[in-house]
Amino acid sequence: MEILVCIKQVPDDSVEVHLTEEGKPDLANITPVVNAFDTYALEMAARLKEAGEGEITALCIGGEEARNSLKNCLAVGADHAYLVQEDRFDGSDSRGISHILMCAAKKIEEDTGKKFDLIFCGKEATDAALGQVGAELSEMLGTGVITNVIEVEFAEGQVCAKQETEEGYRLIETASPCVLTVTKPDYDPRYPTIKNKMAARKKPIGTIKAQDLSVLEPEKTGEGGAFVKTLKLYEPPKKEAGIKIQEETAQDSALKAVAMMADAKVF
Amino acid sequence: MAYLISEEANDLLQDVREFCENEVKEQCKEFDRSGEWPKEIYDKAIEMQLHSLEVPEEYGGPGLSRVDVAALIEEMAIADAGFATTISASGLGTKPVLIAGNEEQKKHVCDQIIEGGFGAFCLTEPGAGSDAGAGTTTAVKDGDEYILNGRKCFITNGGIASFYCITAMTDKSKGVKGISMFLVDAGTPGLSTGNEEDKMGIRTSNTCDVVLEDCRIPAANLIGQEGKGFGIAMKTLDQARAWMGCVAAGIAQRGINEAIAYGKERIQFGKPIIRNQALQFKIADMAIKTETARQMVAHALTKMDLGLPHSKEAAIAKCYASDIAMEVASEAIQMFGGYGYSREYPVEKLLRDAKIFQIFEGSNEIQRIVIANNTIGR
Repeated sequence: MEILVCIKQVPDDSVEVHLTEEGKPDLANITPVVNAFDTYALEMAARLKEAGEGEITALCIGGEEARNSLKNCLAVGADHAYLVQEDRFDGSDSRGISHILMCAAKKIEEDTGKKFDLIFCGKEATDAALGQVGAELSEMLGTGVITNVIEVEFAEGQVCAKQETEEGYRLIETASPCVLTVTKPDYDPRYPTIKNKMAARKKPIGTIKAQDLSVLEPEKTGEGGAFVKTLKLYEPPKKEAGIKIQEETAQDSALKAVAMMADAKVF
Repeated sequence: MAYLISEEANDLLQDVREFCENEVKEQCKEFDRSGEWPKEIYDKAIEMQLHSLEVPEEYGGPGLSRVDVAALIEEMAIADAGFATTISASGLGTKPVLIAGNEEQKKHVCDQIIEGGFGAFCLTEPGAGSDAGAGTTTAVKDGDEYILNGRKCFITNGGIASFYCITAMTDKSKGVKGISMFLVDAGTPGLSTGNEEDKMGIRTSNTCDVVLEDCRIPAANLIGQEGKGFGIAMKTLDQARAWMGCVAAGIAQRGINEAIAYGKERIQFGKPIIRNQALQFKIADMAIKTETARQMVAHALTKMDLGLPHSKEAAIAKCYASDIAMEVASEAIQMFGGYGYSREYPVEKLLRDAKIFQIFEGSNEIQRIVIANNTIGR
């Protein structure tokens, strides 16, 4: 069983992000981490691997600093890691990213001569939270996709996954290869053991450049190739203290609230 | 400022910090109240291999320098000193074997630790505290076995250890030269654990009596030679003391962290209290003491790594770090005012945790004797 886990390095989501004077997110002092949903995906993949057999490859698009995130993946279950490192890919939108991931997945398959049975992604990234890449990647790879997965089994080319819904879950079966986007399962990702972390530091991380990607359509990538343009970023408005309405009766309170909303031209 | 550590250890430090933040710091509050040994936390720590940092590389350990390990232990101590004590005391329990044991014994204890066990060092007895040579536990040779009898007390990890390094008299007529060191596995008939101490601090660590009643062990479990036990125990403590300094420095660092966080948050006279220079100086004094203690620990450990004499340095590190941990914890409470005295807030625990570091592994009065002897000469 060959598993690909696509990861994204994002700013630590437990830290509040503010904008710089130029209107860009100020990430200078925020530690980059592996997107939380991607860590769930990797953990799910690692458990699947441990229950059966196979190898996990972690794939990331990013700058030199993203090697650290890949190293962390190598410490918690990934056997191989690749970094797509190309300045001209900066500013790609979800479609562009999916396209690059598809090209990189094919390149790794060509190099190793092994086809990926399962491709794991987090259901979304904690920074932009668009949730597009998994589904787009499956479209480009021409495989099926199961989104919001909380549990998965794999046997003889058949994938059986629990997809979380508002009410509970659906059981979905499909044939591999298949893309799975993972949401929070009922377990947490493992911590790296001291020895695995030390060993991971010594493992090589492959670098993939644009010229290595035989099926790349460069016009789909980078800022120029993006369909989605970011015009301006806003910080969420600061929460202001509310107004307390406490009239004699509930009816009076409701009437006052409606009157205030009418004054504020809410309707 | 902190320990100067390798890039590799710095990487590990991030993981340990994350682990302690998520799995130890808050969770230990409840166990500090109950006094229960938090097995689930230790199980997670074992899974991450935090308990085997001191195991030498040739016996399956990670092969980090002592200062690298100190940075990780301090991080554990910042989260909870009892947690760090359990782990460090396991190292203490292993040291007699690493110092004087044979290959088989070394492999035996290291394997047990790697597999998730803990060690315990049994020297103190009800009548033999600072006067460690006054122990009355005996070991009588009977064919190819020794029979141990006696009672050890205040044994850290006593109730949870998988193996014990125990001092016992093999020849009463020779005084301290009649003391020998033995390796005894948990579960050996005749070895039992008694009274568990209801302690003032480090309540997430286990401390209890270890009782030996006609406890028969193979003669091969003698560590080193007969009569060398006291020397082995002293060498063990010479090393272990620096680690206690490390944990104490961690308590002090937690005090600084908490005092700064609270000082920024607490508004009096219309401004955060930390804007008062009087309190800034308090923080500065806490930092001076803590950093000095930490660097003394590092110095003692570096000397150990280099194979240089380190008795004096380790004693200074332990003595100074524990004295200042008390002072810094007390000042942290002062920064918090009345809230600091409440168990709702995290600083009163630091004072309770810090106190034992002035007492165990040689009281600070004994440390001063060691330092004086090593300074004045004979």
